[in-house]
Amino acid sequence: MTSQTARTLGASLRYEFRMQIRKRAVWIVPALTVALFLLIGGSLLRDLFDKGERPAEARTAVVGLAVQVLALLSIGYGCLLADRLIRDDRLRVAPVLDATPARPGARLVGKYLGTAAATAVPILAVYLGLAAVYAVHTGAPHALGWALATCAVVIAPGLLFVAALALTVPLIMPAPLFRVIFVGYWLWGNVAAPDMMPTLARTLIHPLGGYPLDALLDFHGIDGDDTWAGPVPSATLNFLRPDPTPTTAWLSITVLLVLAAAALAGGHAVRARRA
Amino acid sequence: MRIEISGLTKTYRGGVAALDGLDLTVPTGMFGLLGANGAGKTTLMRILAGLVRPTSGQVTVGGHDMSTGAGRTAVQRGLGYLPQDLGVYPDLTARQFLDYVALLKGVDDRMARRRRVGELLEVVALTGDADRRLRGFSGGMRQRVGIAQALLADPRLLIVDEPTAGLDPQERIRFRTLLSQFAGQRTVLLSTHIVDDIAQTCRDVAVLARGRLAFRGTVDELTHRARGQVWSIVTDGPPPAEGTVVSALPHEGGTRYRVVAPAAPDPRARPVEPALEDGYLALTTR
Ligand SMILES: Nc1ncnc2c1ncn2[C@@H]1O[C@H](COP(=O)(O)OP(=O)(O)O)[C@@H](O)[C@H]1O
Ligand SMILES: [Mg+2]
Repeated sequence: MTSQTARTLGASLRYEFRMQIRKRAVWIVPALTVALFLLIGGSLLRDLFDKGERPAEARTAVVGLAVQVLALLSIGYGCLLADRLIRDDRLRVAPVLDATPARPGARLVGKYLGTAAATAVPILAVYLGLAAVYAVHTGAPHALGWALATCAVVIAPGLLFVAALALTVPLIMPAPLFRVIFVGYWLWGNVAAPDMMPTLARTLIHPLGGYPLDALLDFHGIDGDDTWAGPVPSATLNFLRPDPTPTTAWLSITVLLVLAAAALAGGHAVRARRA
Repeated sequence: MRIEISGLTKTYRGGVAALDGLDLTVPTGMFGLLGANGAGKTTLMRILAGLVRPTSGQVTVGGHDMSTGAGRTAVQRGLGYLPQDLGVYPDLTARQFLDYVALLKGVDDRMARRRRVGELLEVVALTGDADRRLRGFSGGMRQRVGIAQALLADPRLLIVDEPTAGLDPQERIRFRTLLSQFAGQRTVLLSTHIVDDIAQTCRDVAVLARGRLAFRGTVDELTHRARGQVWSIVTDGPPPAEGTVVSALPHEGGTRYRVVAPAAPDPRARPVEPALEDGYLALTTR
């Protein structure tokens, strides 16, 4: 990477971050989601602060919290990012930016990282905030360590994967359609039992991070008797469900990031071909 | 930067031939590009800005071959481009938007960038609004932001596509003066369908019609195309049936029509001196 490329990437990262984080929806959507979740009786969020109900182990508690936060807030996350790339054309800013000598690939990566990070800020604030409150409340400072580890191996790869799809798929279909498909898949495909319908749940490509949850964080559900990854008898796509081990967990993270990079490369190619 | 174009064709998907075998050389200085809507001006400018690839033909700008990525980047390093129908990010302020474009143009030094952005905000008379979000800017103010971004990084080639659309008369005059002052040793390519903008700023002009070159020469030569073809008639009857009516002014005893026609459209018609607009009409409405 030349220094000019690095500077282009840094400039678009900074400005895209700034524009996205100022958007009210980026804050309102996760706030409403959490409020709605609490209203309909969000189980774990409440149990965490209830001595009788909460899991015995701090690790189980904060990792379980991450699963709920990620499963819920990713829905808005994908939707909030779906207009970011196509809006350059819609706002008619693209010709000005495209006529600069800045490399379009570097601009795309900067936009991706900047908007993905900005949209993740409220999610991380919610998660780390709750984890911190929990740590203080239960006098378990190591809970924060587990929360950070969960951010690194579950939340970050999952959000980076979702962000790459949300940015680029609307180049080939209308953004509202992408949002409908994405929300539909998230609510249904992520949770449906894999032997009922083909789904990415429990595969290496599961954006909720089944493999790292299972094999890196040793998380087996709040009650400790669930599994999060691996083959399901008589399900399709079982070839994507090796047994969960630390190796397959890192493989799963790698696969998510490689697919994210491939989506960006595809988006870049689609835009270049339109010239 | 000298622009050399030969055999340039651009056919859009769907089969519209926006440019059809265009040959044109543009020297240093101010250069006007005239043509009706749909003549291909914007397409030509988008090709010169490296945004659109030609279907066939050669384009070199300052000796750089626009068919290669390296050539396009080299041209873009010295390019200022004001697209027709420009957009801005509504969530940035004018100053931030200009700072962002300056960064992408490679103005890396923070102090130099800040200074240049400040100067240009002054030039386009937006200093007072520099820290307001662009969302609230009027069309004319946005256009001035567009002009400022085109002038960042001191371009050697300035391409401005219908820049005066949306400006009020004072702004238009200011902008034309700015362009003329700026030109000097640089190349300024100004496209418009407003003949007056060219008449006031350019010596050299080309006229595009349906993707082809209809005229290439000086403004005077284009004006002379209408010599002996411009007529003035005062009548209280219907306008003359022959020729193109350029203007119709109320006059004692009826209306005074200015008409471009190869021969006197009426026995009462008096020949008058042509202006640039008449030359353009004589050329394009044959
Ligand atoms: N992106 C496009 N796709 C298809 N046709 C286009 C596109 N852009 C321009 N055209 C067509 O090409 C012709 C020339 O357009 P343009 O270059 O915009 O002319 P001008 O700027 O002189 O008005 C018009 O017929 C226009 O409809
Ligand atoms: Mg045009």
